[in-house]
Amino acid sequence: MMRTFTPWLVLACRLGVGGVFLYAAWDKLLHPQAFAQAIHFYHLVPASLLHPWAHLLPVLEIVVGLALVLGLLQRGAALLAGGLTVVFMVAIAAALARGLDISCGCFHTDGGHGVGLELLVRDTVLLAACLPVVFARRGGPGLDDLRRH
Amino acid sequence: MPRRLFNHDGKQGRATLGQAGVLLGAAVLLTAVSWALRPDRLPLRADVAIYDLELAAPLIEVPAALVLYEEGMHIFVDTRPTGPAAASGLAVPGAVPIRPGSFDDDLLEIFDFVGPDDPLVLYDDGGLLGASNIAARLLERGFTDLSIMAGGVAAWQQAGGETSVPAAEREESP
Repeated sequence: MMRTFTPWLVLACRLGVGGVFLYAAWDKLLHPQAFAQAIHFYHLVPASLLHPWAHLLPVLEIVVGLALVLGLLQRGAALLAGGLTVVFMVAIAAALARGLDISCGCFHTDGGHGVGLELLVRDTVLLAACLPVVFARRGGPGLDDLRRH
Repeated sequence: MPRRLFNHDGKQGRATLGQAGVLLGAAVLLTAVSWALRPDRLPLRADVAIYDLELAAPLIEVPAALVLYEEGMHIFVDTRPTGPAAASGLAVPGAVPIRPGSFDDDLLEIFDFVGPDDPLVLYDDGGLLGASNIAARLLERGFTDLSIMAGGVAAWQQAGGETSVPAAEREESP
C-alpha cells in the first residue's frame, strides 16, 4: 500500500511541510535571542546547548524546508522534518505534563501561541504529511529527478 | 524491520538516512558560517539567569544593539537613575534619558521627537530590572516597540560601542 502514493500526493505533502518549515524558521532566524528565551522556558535544553540550538534550529528548518520544496534529497529531508516534529511534540508534551504556561515559540518569538493540545494535533498532521514523502516508491517532481538522469 | 520500514529495501533505507545526514551536515556548516558572520550572534554559552527574569520587553545582546545603533532607526534610552545611584557616568551617544524618578517629566521633555510608534532600545547599569521597570511604564503609555539591551553601558563599551558623557552630568561637573 505504501507504494501506491502518487507523485502528486508526495508533491503536495512536500510543499505543505516545506512551506511550514520555511515560515517557522524566518522569525527565529531574525530574533535568535528571543528564540533562545522561548527554548529556555521549556527547561529541557542545558545552558551549554541553548544558544547553539537557537542558532542551529532555524537554519535546519530552512535547509529541510528548501530541500522539500525543491525536491532535493527529499526522502532525507522528510525524515529530518519528521524527526524534528517528533522532538517538538515531545517538548510540547513535556511542557503540558509539567503544567508550564509558556509560549510555544513555534512560529513567532514575540509571544505567539501558548502550548496546548491543539499544537500536538497540528504536529501530528505535520508528521503524517512527512510519511508519504519518506515511504513513497516515487517522489514527486523535483531536483532529485535531475540527479537520477 | 528496516526492510518493512522503508519502502523498497535496506539499501533505500540507508540512502534515506544518508540524505538526512547530508542535510544535517549542511545545516551545521551553514549555522557555523552564519554564526561567525552575523554581527548579532549570541555568545556560545548562555547566561540563563537573564532568561529567568520576567522582563517587560524582549532582551537583545549588545552586538545586536550595536547593529541597531549603526542603522540609526532605533532610539536608545538611558533608564539609569541620576546622581550617586548611577553606576557609570558614561552613556550611549544620543541616548535620551527616561529615569525612574522623573519618568513623566522626561517623557514630556522628549515628547516632540519620541512617539509611541518609535522603536526604543532601553538600557540600564546591566541589572536589567531598572530598564524593565521603565519598559513596563512605557508599555502602559502605549509604546509598543521596546527592547532591553543586556549588560548595560559596561557591556556596550566592552563590545566597542561609542560612549559619551550625558549632557546633564557635564553640566553638573565643575
